Amino acid sequence: MQSRRHAPESDDHGIDLAPMLDFMTNLLIFFIITTSFVKEAGITVLKPKAMTPEARDNGNIMIAITENGDLWMDRQQVDFRRMRSIVERLAIERPDDSVVILADKASKAGMVARVMDEVKLGGISEVYIAADNASEGE
Amino acid sequence: MLDFVTNLLIFFIITAVFVKEVSLEVSRPRGEMTNEQDNDPRNAAIPISVLQDGTIWVDNREVDVRAVRANVERIKAVRPKAGVLIVADQNAPTGIVVDVIDASRLAHVNNITFSTGQ
Repeated sequence: MQSRRHAPESDDHGIDLAPMLDFMTNLLIFFIITTSFVKEAGITVLKPKAMTPEARDNGNIMIAITENGDLWMDRQQVDFRRMRSIVERLAIERPDDSVVILADKASKAGMVARVMDEVKLGGISEVYIAADNASEGE
Repeated sequence: MLDFVTNLLIFFIITAVFVKEVSLEVSRPRGEMTNEQDNDPRNAAIPISVLQDGTIWVDNREVDVRAVRANVERIKAVRPKAGVLIVADQNAPTGIVVDVIDASRLAHVNNITFSTGQ
């Protein structure tokens, strides 16, 4: 009786790591899959509201246009003339990405049009204009 | 191996960003458009102008931003295949342009082109 009770504990010490390892591997796979490498603009603009915006899975490159016409990409302010080369580089790295323009409500339409043209010349043909969903409320 | 997996896990948790922007699709006019243009007047695009001060003109009449949808629907009833061509002033506010795009989408026009006056 005494020997049977002590027998299982004799050859393994400590807790069993296998279930924890399984769990962590699953978590790891989940985070690898959901990581999307979004290039954030790095500035907050007051986006226009719309009733019909759609979410895009590949809208990963954000270009912000502020009220006074400054351009922000990848957390830094960029010059308009440098933008095309940056878009070209990103288009080579991840060809399936598309560009989302975060234009301020009060920014000029001419600037938005010029940015759209530059992005297309840079090799990304899908360009969208971001808008807040008006039906969701504040 | 366990240490390595844990580190990878922490890395991916930290870098994970759940940013999801919602956006509107709009196209730009192509330079060679005149060659491919459909000459049928029933399919001609609905022109909407946005002026510098934010006023909107549909079919040569000034309309309120709330009336854009109704106007587009009315023209679309006559020309069902027509797209919308937004001609905005260089200095027109983007908010008004997006309002017009939104109104056109609500009127079930999906072929929206955005152009700016020279």
